[in-house]
Amino acid sequence: MRISYIVLGMLALTACGQPSNDTQNEQTITARDTLSPLNPEPPSPASSGAARPGLMHREAIGSYVGFFEAVDYDENTDFVYANKISLVLDSFNTHTAFGHSVVAGNLRPFSGPYTEKQGKLQVEAKEPGDDRYDGSFSFELNAEQGLVKGTWTANNRRLPVSKRSFELKNRRFAYDPNLNLPEDVLWDVLYEKHDEYAEEGEFLTQDVLKLNASKQVLKKEDVENLYKGDLEVIRNTIYARHGYSFKNRKMRFIFDRYVEWYMPISTDIRGDLSPLEKKNAELLKRYEEHADRYYDVFGR
Amino acid sequence: MGGSTSFSIKQLSGASLLLLYAWFCWLMWEITRQYIPWNEDVAFLRIKQEYMGLAYYRQAFFLHVFTAILSLAAGFTQFSPRLTRKLPWLHRYSGRAYVLVVIFLAGPSGFIIGLYANGGLSSQIAFCLLAILWVYCTAKGWQSARQGQWDQHRAWMWRSFALALSAITLRAWKYALVGLLHPRPMDVYKVVAWLGWVLNLAVAEWLLYRWRKKTSPPKKPTII
Repeated sequence: MRISYIVLGMLALTACGQPSNDTQNEQTITARDTLSPLNPEPPSPASSGAARPGLMHREAIGSYVGFFEAVDYDENTDFVYANKISLVLDSFNTHTAFGHSVVAGNLRPFSGPYTEKQGKLQVEAKEPGDDRYDGSFSFELNAEQGLVKGTWTANNRRLPVSKRSFELKNRRFAYDPNLNLPEDVLWDVLYEKHDEYAEEGEFLTQDVLKLNASKQVLKKEDVENLYKGDLEVIRNTIYARHGYSFKNRKMRFIFDRYVEWYMPISTDIRGDLSPLEKKNAELLKRYEEHADRYYDVFGR
Repeated sequence: MGGSTSFSIKQLSGASLLLLYAWFCWLMWEITRQYIPWNEDVAFLRIKQEYMGLAYYRQAFFLHVFTAILSLAAGFTQFSPRLTRKLPWLHRYSGRAYVLVVIFLAGPSGFIIGLYANGGLSSQIAFCLLAILWVYCTAKGWQSARQGQWDQHRAWMWRSFALALSAITLRAWKYALVGLLHPRPMDVYKVVAWLGWVLNLAVAEWLLYRWRKKTSPPKKPTII
């Protein structure tokens, strides 16, 4: 836990220290999210000299990760108090900041005016408004420290959660097949619903730590004796490594809370999977479905 | 209470046993039905895909599924002494059908798919041994009937049918064990691969032992 914070901090520092890295970062992000209607107005360095976005704006470009916590909510609904969110600043022009957020399986672009004060950027951005869960962001971005702090307010005040707050840290997304689940995850229970209200859950076993479906070829013998819950988590860990943002609550509870390296960055990672991962995911899914349908019924 | 209209406990338990058996047969039919007419990607076969490329595995599997269920009909026709007495032709014809199904169709095909059983060597041995014993007991039952050795015939056919019943008991054990202990899927499979028929055979032997004791003539006093 602590070590990963240090690594995180170092990443943030290096990202801030070298502007050349930031351009790289920006390119990576725009290339990744070809699906989303992002960057309607990419920054044009040729635009009118004096009002041109400064170095700080370029440093601000990048992704910020942390928790998206409920502030105003309806207690009688089954909502999720905190989800992991990635807020990505894609570009700036003279007056407007462009970016997108990825949380709970939902990728939404945003844009809006920004002001500069005391070395920080204050951004007031809106989501397009054509999604039930759209709203507006108001946040302060400290590029030097790699921090973003602010709130989001839903357009529809009657949503289960109509206001959330966040404090995010700059972190660059990088796929690493070596990453695996931490041991803490064994303390978790797979809940379908919010854990305070859940009536039953299912524990994970050591198996989820032993198998890495992004690195080793899984054979029938590796998976046939596993519990369904473990199979499901092993398969979804493949997707988590690629920064998949989970709609599925069970998976969100696990990856958001227990997996420090996890960062939701995309809602469609199908094209990113390696042939090995695709094959393993298929095998795991087959056994999951079999367990789901036949494990506790009269049959084999 | 009493008189000619009342049922004895024996009759009642016999009737409920028959009903229970009918219900299990219906469950087996429900399982078989999924594969009709020739569905290669359903139920059990979903986790046997690596063998579906083998033509003889595929053929043996469907042959087994579609014929083995016929052997369960014997449970209704073959074991009632009254029925055998009243309709001897029924016993004879359905008995022949049972023998044909087991020895030439369901038994050998069971052996072939047993070679590829889930759960490794232990369950492969269990299922292959089950198939061999099933064919053997059935063949002995048929042979002894041909020779008119009725006690022998009865003993072998009880054993044969006890093994046929493993289709039901294996699945019932699995259901019970999963419900009680929540074991790992392949662990439970290895257990029921043996439990499903060994216990049946033991029960058959015990019933035969009781039956022999009841029917054997009292020993003649030895004259010195």
